[in-house]
Amino acid sequence: MREPSRLRDETSSALERALLDAGTSYRSPASARAKTLGALGLAGSATILAGATQAAPLSAFAKVTWTKLLATISVVGVAAAVPVGYYAWHRHAGAGHAAPVHAPVVALAQAAEPAVPEEAPAGPAVAAPALEPAPAPTLAPTAGSLTHRAEAGPSTVTLAGELSSIDGARAMLARGDGEGALARLDAYSRGYPRGRLELEAEVLRIDALDQSGRTNLARERAEAFLRRHPRSVLAARVRAHLGD
Amino acid sequence: MTTAAVYEAPPLDRGLSMPRDPARDREVRLRRLVDGHIDFVARVLRNSGTPQADVDDEVQRTFIVAARRLDDVRIGAEKSFLFRIALNLAAHARRTMARRREVSADQAPEQIERFATPEALTDQKRMRELLDRVLDKMEEPLRATFVLHEFEEMSTSEIAELLGIPRGTVASRLRRARIEFRERVGAIEALGKRERET
Repeated sequence: MREPSRLRDETSSALERALLDAGTSYRSPASARAKTLGALGLAGSATILAGATQAAPLSAFAKVTWTKLLATISVVGVAAAVPVGYYAWHRHAGAGHAAPVHAPVVALAQAAEPAVPEEAPAGPAVAAPALEPAPAPTLAPTAGSLTHRAEAGPSTVTLAGELSSIDGARAMLARGDGEGALARLDAYSRGYPRGRLELEAEVLRIDALDQSGRTNLARERAEAFLRRHPRSVLAARVRAHLGD
Repeated sequence: MTTAAVYEAPPLDRGLSMPRDPARDREVRLRRLVDGHIDFVARVLRNSGTPQADVDDEVQRTFIVAARRLDDVRIGAEKSFLFRIALNLAAHARRTMARRREVSADQAPEQIERFATPEALTDQKRMRELLDRVLDKMEEPLRATFVLHEFEEMSTSEIAELLGIPRGTVASRLRRARIEFRERVGAIEALGKRERET
């Protein structure tokens, strides 16, 4: 069977090409990667947020504006969008623009057909209550909290701080400084009472307690962690600590 | 005559004989999953109809769902696994968006004047909006095939494997999807041309 070529390679329509480029060029921003790693408890290098922190205010603005655009344009549909779009296109075309990027924002002639999903997956909400004394952290955000955080603005700034604290504790632990790591983790819990990386912090705390000779306490906390978060992404790591 | 220095090479099975840390392995796999596929997931979500404002959250959600089931995913099948999750989440996001449209219908006429003027949109955003409109009209199976072939540049064999359908079905869906795409874009161009002539 002959492999079909890409439409992009064979089309002579500037508008088709521009639309195909729009579909191909989409990239996930650095902030999305940072948030994803944070939600998974994979608090890596703090540098992953270097770009995200700066980009947050702009993307937040764009998000609000674009949401409104989509909602409003979609509702009004053909009646409102076509004249506006064609006015723009007509104006650009009349001015001799050959570039396809001046095509209109236009709803197609038919009303949008509602998509029929095959299967709605189970929501990823994993509410993760904290061990004492750390208060209520969340590893995997609920649908509500995801939306809330998106609307709340540049939360990546806070996340960058959290990552930095966790990375600091991890580095101390790697150097064999269990006491220093514990102090750093305690400071983290005080500084971010509802921190998104609290579960990661708790796992490091278990390691740090173990390293500093408080093995009974480490085991106690590890068992408590597994009772509270048996399905956490980090549970396997804690189980390995207990030798399960 | 000089005597060669004695060099004691590390054993070949050194790495293999070290005890494995399953938790660490899992973390490494998860991180690779994110790093290797986050753009793919974002594009699939966006091109499958997830509103721009929701894409980042849905990307996050896709990987959280994947992390929960990671142990069930065989090595090498991660992309297919992520694609299915993303496709389902996109369908869910579209439904939510449809409900939002119904709720906000009363406010729309006022807002459109404020936000939808050509001057308020960059060309890139206008193209994205137009593409959304074109793709939204496609049936889901056609859209998924079109997205994977035209945007992800996957071969028909790869798409067949990913979707679990025969290669001939992929080719057939792709043909139909391309016809629909070209018809709709052609209609827009024709309308614009008529507009310019009058």
